[in-house]
Amino acid sequence: MSEHLFRSFMRMEDLFAQLSQQAINGLTIGGVYALIAIGYTMVYGVLSMLNFAHGELYMVGGFIGWWVLQLFTVKHVPVMNGALLISLMLVIAMGGAAILGVVIERIAYRPLRTAPRMNLLLSSLGVSIFIQNFVLYFQGAKVKVFHVSQLIPDGLRSFEIGGVVVSFMRIVVIFVCFLLMLLLTLTIKKTAIGRSIRATAQDIEAAAFMGIDTNRVIVSVFVIGSALGGAAGLLVSLLFTQVDYYVGLQAGLKGFTAAVLGGIGSIPGAMAGGILLGLSEALAVTFFPSAYKDVVAFVILIAILIFRPQGLWGEKLREKV
Amino acid sequence: MKKIALLLSTGILLSFALTVQANDVSKGIHVGNAGSFTGDAAAPCMEIFNSAQLAVDEWNARGGIQGITIEHIMGDDALDPAQGIKVARKFTSDELMYGVIGPPVSHIAQASIKIYGQSDLACITTAASKPDLTEAGYKHFFRVNARNDAHGWNSALFIKNNLKAEKVAILNEKVAYCENMAQQTIKGLEKLGVTDIMNETIVAGSKDFSAVLTKVKAFNPDVLFFIATAAPDQAIGVKQAKELGIEAIFMGSEGGRDKKDFIEASEGAAQGAYVYHFSPDIFAIKEAEAYVKNFEAKYGSLSGFGPPAYEAMNILLSAIDMAAEDGDISRAEVISSLAAIKGYKGILGFPISFDEKGDLLGGATYFFKVNGTDFEQVTVLTGK
Repeated sequence: MSEHLFRSFMRMEDLFAQLSQQAINGLTIGGVYALIAIGYTMVYGVLSMLNFAHGELYMVGGFIGWWVLQLFTVKHVPVMNGALLISLMLVIAMGGAAILGVVIERIAYRPLRTAPRMNLLLSSLGVSIFIQNFVLYFQGAKVKVFHVSQLIPDGLRSFEIGGVVVSFMRIVVIFVCFLLMLLLTLTIKKTAIGRSIRATAQDIEAAAFMGIDTNRVIVSVFVIGSALGGAAGLLVSLLFTQVDYYVGLQAGLKGFTAAVLGGIGSIPGAMAGGILLGLSEALAVTFFPSAYKDVVAFVILIAILIFRPQGLWGEKLREKV
Repeated sequence: MKKIALLLSTGILLSFALTVQANDVSKGIHVGNAGSFTGDAAAPCMEIFNSAQLAVDEWNARGGIQGITIEHIMGDDALDPAQGIKVARKFTSDELMYGVIGPPVSHIAQASIKIYGQSDLACITTAASKPDLTEAGYKHFFRVNARNDAHGWNSALFIKNNLKAEKVAILNEKVAYCENMAQQTIKGLEKLGVTDIMNETIVAGSKDFSAVLTKVKAFNPDVLFFIATAAPDQAIGVKQAKELGIEAIFMGSEGGRDKKDFIEASEGAAQGAYVYHFSPDIFAIKEAEAYVKNFEAKYGSLSGFGPPAYEAMNILLSAIDMAAEDGDISRAEVISSLAAIKGYKGILGFPISFDEKGDLLGGATYFFKVNGTDFEQVTVLTGK
């Protein structure tokens, strides 16, 4: 431990470069955690349930992206403009995940709407296991590799500024994450459906009395949350170039942690929680042996929950399971 | 009281019958193949299974054992130790099962070795290299691949003498084989006077190693030794290392010797990288020509995992054949005939004998370099 610290602090400019690099690493993965966390938090907001199948939408988003990539590349060379293909992958992955999210809500959650929350939780676990095994059966257990180097023009693949390397894909991921979060914030704040979502999250019965079609609101929450989950899955697959049937579990866990960290039910909280989790993981590796990466992240979570049980941005009043 | 005595004596008789269990050969002969046939190690494991199948098919074509057709049964653990235990239970409860190839993954072998041992079922692993496996005094466990202590020492020699490294970063996945391989290599490097070593861990399947690789970059090593079980993780490792601008020579571990999941998946980043492996370049060995031809005709391209499995299955079947000569056979007989095998000459290019622990005598490590879309054997080290 002390040797690690000593080695890191030996040269300040090296440390600065390393920290900046870790900040970039953390920001990328944190943006992705944030997108996943939003899905958990929105569903919790309106239904007070933990949708454990959410991680699988992330995985499905990655697979859909892979299929689109296979369809529009010949021997790993794209048949169209790279930027266009990446946008197409993103749109189809988000669309596919959104449809799947709505189907899950219809089949597995709506019939249990009035049942105890525990039943919904179990139903979501069942959905998660089903989707994982469905993909395992039809796609096999081997990783799918994204051959994306041909999507980016030669000179643009990575940039180096003062010892800090930023690849083009990282810029794409960070940009898309923040763009989607901005769009979501505007939708929630400025549009009619956003107002309905806020009202339903505050009190679902009162919202219904006020003439809001809460079923429609719940469906739109699933559409938005699932689409963002699918986008996260695609972005990570583009960045790390691999997807398999098992990635949803870990991603779901991290997204859920981020949502709790930010205060479950709060959208800005989910965004901040995701980025905070990503950054703390990356920075933890700089100062501690990498074996403790997750330990540090979860110690932060526990510490915050001791002092603010409702999470960083959460409201105190709610009593939900 | 009488009842209890009766129960006890039947119990003792039953357990006695279960442990001895000499069968008539004509009832049938089963051999098992335990491995991770789904999951990230599916490609090398299927190669192991198919190579063993090839050996079984050849034996059956020659009339099987005592005229009985041999049945080769797959047991999939999906790279999960808990599933590996289930496979072991399934195999040991099959009373016609006389031997097993595998498990090829150290931490799964470790989880199930005792179960096989309790039923005296012989196992020959073709890839599990953690030294402890044969250090626990089991009589039923054999291997045709060298152990981590040999590989670790040879890798240290290679890193110091061939790659001329003075500063080494080692990343290992936190499972039995990888962790032990890292320890053995560090032990070797320190003995050779290389003490500037960074040892960090990674998590398999997490797909993002950029945080720990950023730390490696700041350490600025001459060689980055990336020890992971499966090829896809090593492809991501070499890719992210190049992306971050790490100039160190990349050296992968045995699972990385996979053209599709390492070289092709890395999209060019693996060019010039090294991997070590426990089996030689099979295409250069004359005795292996027929095997290579038959395998490729039936199952497609071949990497390094198949040949030891073909060899192991032939050795196992020879042992079963010896045990079955008198018309009946027991698992214990198979184990003692395996232990008696000396200087078996097959396709691997060196004679195979087991020492008293069940380990291969005289373990060698082969080193390969990525050149274009294929691996090129650079050297073989035997501890000198």
